[in-house]
Amino acid sequence: MSETEPVTNGTERPAETTAGETDERTREAWREYEFAGETKLAVEDLDVYYGDDHALKRVSMDIPEESVTALVGPSGCGKSTFLRCLNRMNDRIGTARIDGSVELDGQEVYQDGVDLVELRKQVGMVFQAPNPFPKSIRDNITYGPRQHGDIDTGLLARLTGRDDSEAADRLVERALRQAALWDEVEDRLDDNAMGLSGGQQQRLCLARCLAVDPEVILMDEPASALDPIATAKIEDLVEELAEEYTVVVVTHNMQQAARISDQTAVFLTGGELVEYDDTGKIFEDPESQRVEDYVSGKFG
Amino acid sequence: MAGAAESTVVREDTSTYEAVAGLTVGLAAILFFLGLAATVDIVSVTGTLAGLGTLTALGLLLVVMGLAVVAFGLASYRGIFPTDPRASAGLVAATLFSGLWFLVGALVGSETLGLGFGGGLAVGLLVGAVGFAATALPREDIGSTLPAGALAVLFGLVFLLGVVGPEWSWSPASFPDSQSVTFFARTIAPFAVILSALVVGWAAAKAYGGFGARGRHLGAYLLVYLNAIAIIAVLVALVAFVVVKGFAPVTESVTVGLGVGPATTIALFGFSYEVVWPVNWPFLMNGASLFTDVTGVFPAIVGTAWLVVGAVLLAVPLGVGAAIFLTEYAEQGRFTRVVEVATNALWSTPSIVFGLFGAAFLVPRFTPQPQKSLLAGMITLGFMLLPLVVITSREAMIAVPDEYRDASAALGVSKWQTIRSVVVPAAMPGVVTGVILGVGRIAGETAPLLLTMGGGSFVGAGQRAKVLDSFQLSLSPPFVTNPELTQATTALPYQLYQVVLTGTGETAGVTDITAFGWGTALVLLAVVLLFYAVGIATRQYFRSKLTYE
Ligand SMILES: Nc1ncnc2c1ncn2[C@@H]1O[C@H](COP(=O)(O)OP(=O)(O)OP(=O)(O)O)[C@@H](O)[C@H]1O
Ligand SMILES: [Mg+2]
Repeated sequence: MSETEPVTNGTERPAETTAGETDERTREAWREYEFAGETKLAVEDLDVYYGDDHALKRVSMDIPEESVTALVGPSGCGKSTFLRCLNRMNDRIGTARIDGSVELDGQEVYQDGVDLVELRKQVGMVFQAPNPFPKSIRDNITYGPRQHGDIDTGLLARLTGRDDSEAADRLVERALRQAALWDEVEDRLDDNAMGLSGGQQQRLCLARCLAVDPEVILMDEPASALDPIATAKIEDLVEELAEEYTVVVVTHNMQQAARISDQTAVFLTGGELVEYDDTGKIFEDPESQRVEDYVSGKFG
Repeated sequence: MAGAAESTVVREDTSTYEAVAGLTVGLAAILFFLGLAATVDIVSVTGTLAGLGTLTALGLLLVVMGLAVVAFGLASYRGIFPTDPRASAGLVAATLFSGLWFLVGALVGSETLGLGFGGGLAVGLLVGAVGFAATALPREDIGSTLPAGALAVLFGLVFLLGVVGPEWSWSPASFPDSQSVTFFARTIAPFAVILSALVVGWAAAKAYGGFGARGRHLGAYLLVYLNAIAIIAVLVALVAFVVVKGFAPVTESVTVGLGVGPATTIALFGFSYEVVWPVNWPFLMNGASLFTDVTGVFPAIVGTAWLVVGAVLLAVPLGVGAAIFLTEYAEQGRFTRVVEVATNALWSTPSIVFGLFGAAFLVPRFTPQPQKSLLAGMITLGFMLLPLVVITSREAMIAVPDEYRDASAALGVSKWQTIRSVVVPAAMPGVVTGVILGVGRIAGETAPLLLTMGGGSFVGAGQRAKVLDSFQLSLSPPFVTNPELTQATTALPYQLYQVVLTGTGETAGVTDITAFGWGTALVLLAVVLLFYAVGIATRQYFRSKLTYE
């Protein structure tokens, strides 16, 4: 079914890599590890180049469904790049070149004939920098469903009695409540979203993503601009979402990763995935010395 | 002021020095505006000002201010007042002053001393070099004030001593035919006054700020400020001139009251109602006719309005569509660059070329015999408007942040839907700005209409373009026809041109043809402003949807 055959499985791969010998052994060790639950996203030998810049190096990891996977690592190590590969947002960057394979529910994402619109409906994303549309708060939330034709509040719909305004209102309230923003914007839903604070915009973008009801939610530092209370609410939301959805979260906050995630992937400078394991294992007894140093704050 | 004198965060009360310098700045501004007023004869150079001859009074003021500015510099140099000058006034000031002094030297050398071209050049270079040195070499307080003050004193003395009096004139001998160019005091003096006012004002403003960074800031501020005011004043004067000239003819015999105006028949579903306007405004509501008291420009207003509407309806959809393709779909590279250059070139193409195109391709196209028509005019103007709409729409779309496109794509929304519901709305204010600018140009176009639309110089009200009434439906192709569109009609700029060209209006009952022309110009101005107002309101509407409050 795939025209562009992805690079074949890494288990038969010879052991020489850029990483050191010990790291290679630990990598093989955690690769054996079986996570609970079905694999939702299977990433195999993923390489990303920006021009000549090799930003991600041969990354392989299986992301199980109905769980939270945290991605941690120093700034510039390729976490956002990895996240963007999962819903092919890197295709939009002219200089980016992607090698390797990503499978969603066993279907290759990097092959010809993949419907990007459909893929991104299923794999939603909240960006690192808040990017609300210059529209009202309500229109921001309903944007996705309206464009997908799931709800219709247009003039024609209203005239012919197929108006979904009520459904839209319910959707707006649910999404905003989930993103812990409802109380703050309840009575100004029709104001422009550009008037919200940075943290509010961040939560609005999360709500906008939830409104589309994706199966996988990719979050790039969803709480970076939030106070402790809002952060706690977002963390609760993430755990709640994980009962139904597959959540991948990038965070710079080690405690947060430890609190909310089921498994943690540690990327280190140079775009390598150094270790990927149960969160408890990563934080208490990691295989690699570099990971131990990083998560305990000794280097970054 | 002993202890805290060094504190620069809190400024002390105004010192005498600052007060006098501030006064000088104010005087310089007044002098500047007097000079400006003299250029348009609001202040007469040959008349009197405050009891003295205008030039004598201005000269006196210049001398006093020039001396004052030099005194500021010296006072600062001797440390009588605390200032903060730099080591030099800088290269820019020195270059400008050397240029000014070069001109002064060259003119004095060649004309006053009679040394001819070569001698003038030599004296100019010498004086220019001295001016450069005097600005650049001494400390900033001397370098800024001395050359400026000396220039003002020199100009002042020239006026005060009557070297250049009200009746003075100068025909440069160096021109081949000595009679061909003559400068009068009326023309030259105001500019000399404006120039010296700017120069002394700048120096005084620097002194007021105590030189240094603050002084430079104030000096630049004064120049920018006076410049802005002068530009606005000139623009207002231009419009005011048209209004003053055109007001009387436009408002001739306007009456207000029930039933005084013309009757309009509105036909709806077979019924027809007659509405009588409560205003009678002959210049706007009449056409040309021997049977009315006042000949009006109604048909031309209607013609201009239809032209603009037609051109906008043609250009906006095509232009925005092209911009969407170029920005969102086309591969950015050689092709889009070529198209961009071509569009820019098209926008700067002279309108008569568009007119010729219309005459060659559109005029013979809609009627059995080649005939100039409203439709040909609309299409020609539409094509003229098109490049600007493409350029501004494209720029507006490029300015839409990619974050919006990314956000939309990540929600699983297709490209076209993203363009339609995010990109185009965000670009809309920019698009409208382009249309506003373009409409200003095409509404005043005369040349292309000459070749494509024609019409007479005076048109009766009955012959106006009755576009709305003339749509005819039929069962055979093309199903909708509108004979009015294929008729010649007139437009305001075109009529203005014809009226001024022919210069007689007796056949149409116009006695004062110049007044009629000014009236037409005023109406044209008002119509263009009306389109602007509509455009700006539209832009405001789109903008308000994009921003918070
Ligand atoms: N659009 C791009 N074009 C070129 N290089 C890029 C681009 N985006 C990222 N990179 C490069 O790829 C590397 C990884 O970037 P990425 O944004 O994935 O880091 P990150 O781990 O998300 O960092 P942070 O924690 O600061 O967000 C960096 O060296 C960066 O310079
Ligand atoms: Mg990042």
